[in-house]
Amino acid sequence: MSRALDRTGIWIGWAFFADLANALALTFGYMFSRPVTMQYPDKEKWLPYSRYRGHHFLKRDDEGEIKCVACELCARICPCYCIEVIPYEDEKGNRHPAKFEIDMARCLFCGLCEDACPADAIALGQQYEFSSFSSRDLVIGRDDLLGKPGKAATGGGVVSARLNTEQDVLVETSEPQGYNWWRNIRRT
Amino acid sequence: MELVVALGLIVFKVALLIAILLLLPLPLTWLERKVAGHMQQRMGPMRVGWHGLLQPVADGIKLLTKEDHIPAEADRFLFKLAPILALAPPFVVFVAVPFGESVSVLGTEITLYVSNMNVALLFVFAVIGIEVYGVIFGGWAANSKYAVLGSLRTCAQMISYEIPMGFAVIGVVMLAQSMSLLEIVRAQADVWNIVYQPVGFFVFFVAGLAESQRIPFDLAEAEGDLGAGFHTEYSGIRFAFFMVSEYAIMLLTSVLAVILFFGGWNGVLVPLPPLLWFVLKVAFFVYVFIWFRFTFPRYRYDQLMAIGWKVLLPLSMANIIITGVAFL
Repeated sequence: MSRALDRTGIWIGWAFFADLANALALTFGYMFSRPVTMQYPDKEKWLPYSRYRGHHFLKRDDEGEIKCVACELCARICPCYCIEVIPYEDEKGNRHPAKFEIDMARCLFCGLCEDACPADAIALGQQYEFSSFSSRDLVIGRDDLLGKPGKAATGGGVVSARLNTEQDVLVETSEPQGYNWWRNIRRT
Repeated sequence: MELVVALGLIVFKVALLIAILLLLPLPLTWLERKVAGHMQQRMGPMRVGWHGLLQPVADGIKLLTKEDHIPAEADRFLFKLAPILALAPPFVVFVAVPFGESVSVLGTEITLYVSNMNVALLFVFAVIGIEVYGVIFGGWAANSKYAVLGSLRTCAQMISYEIPMGFAVIGVVMLAQSMSLLEIVRAQADVWNIVYQPVGFFVFFVAGLAESQRIPFDLAEAEGDLGAGFHTEYSGIRFAFFMVSEYAIMLLTSVLAVILFFGGWNGVLVPLPPLLWFVLKVAFFVYVFIWFRFTFPRYRYDQLMAIGWKVLLPLSMANIIITGVAFL
């Protein structure tokens, strides 16, 4: 009985395009919902997720000396062989890298170098804007790596984009977890 | 002297009409992209000008400066003729379309229409039928299989939907006892035709959607399964001609829907200037076109034909019969 009624109801609905009207109402409602677009990089930028693996950086210890002991484990474990380390011994007899180069064009940001490092010297930070017109520019040396921004937990921020923007782009730092774009998607 | 003034007035009106029709696609494309964006929780164009307002200008410059490419195997004469054939009829049609009664400027009454034909409706449907030649020639002359497939589909679609469209307006003609669009609007001064002719309006609007090749009947340029329909091989300014023609037809369908079924420039409740009422109603219908486009999926080709011949045609005929019986 009720099923038959349901069926007639559905047929009457079809005859008067109830389904099409529903669809139109839905899209009309969506038209006035807030867009999820973040206008990168014109108007806004956001911190990536706190565990985001971005550009590598090298750490210094408390005395300001580079932490890296040039054991070359990172170069060994790297699946795409993009790290090149040449060690030297300083006057105190400590091992340090004379040359520490990462070819960012080849890096796949797996983070294995960070896991392998016994001295906690290399990690993948928050920077994600380092595109370049020349792959040669993407080979980053030791001193550049020391200056790169760190992780979000240790105060790593995003440096300004290389694109020319009209005014300074603000980074929203109130959210340490990064921007959850999926939070703004309307679910019905 | 009077003749010169009258002639000058007509030339001025025609020039104004052409300018408006050529420039209207600019805001319409912007509106379409904005509405599309917001319906999909995007923003649409934002970078060129304030909220992307200059985006259509940028697009226009892009189209103008692109290479005008003619395929090697194409029939060059027809290939060049087709965009003009597609563009001219929608412009010509607007000659017969009234936008209001008249306004008085500097003491002289200026009518808001170029000509008051007594067979305006017939003229509109006759001239708009020519547009299909542009589509046929465009698809055929390009000598490309995708273009031919697209133009075949478009021809079948436009021809089969012109019939129910023509039948749907007969009820309106019967009510107004005239084929002049001006008389039809005057006859609706008290009650709009939509009250007497809801079925007629439905058939007219669906057929109008198909005529202007908009979703859900945009089989001509179904992006997924044809290259781009009959204008696959067109580029640059010739492609722009087809696009302008498409928008002009969309506008024409909206204008006709307003004139035939929604009382033209007759207002209700709110006393606004008649021209403003007219523009508002047309804008609403243009919005509905865009709204439909980003709501509905595309009909299959056999469904399209079935709707045209098995649903709309009998409906429009029944509408004529019922209107006639009610008249007796």
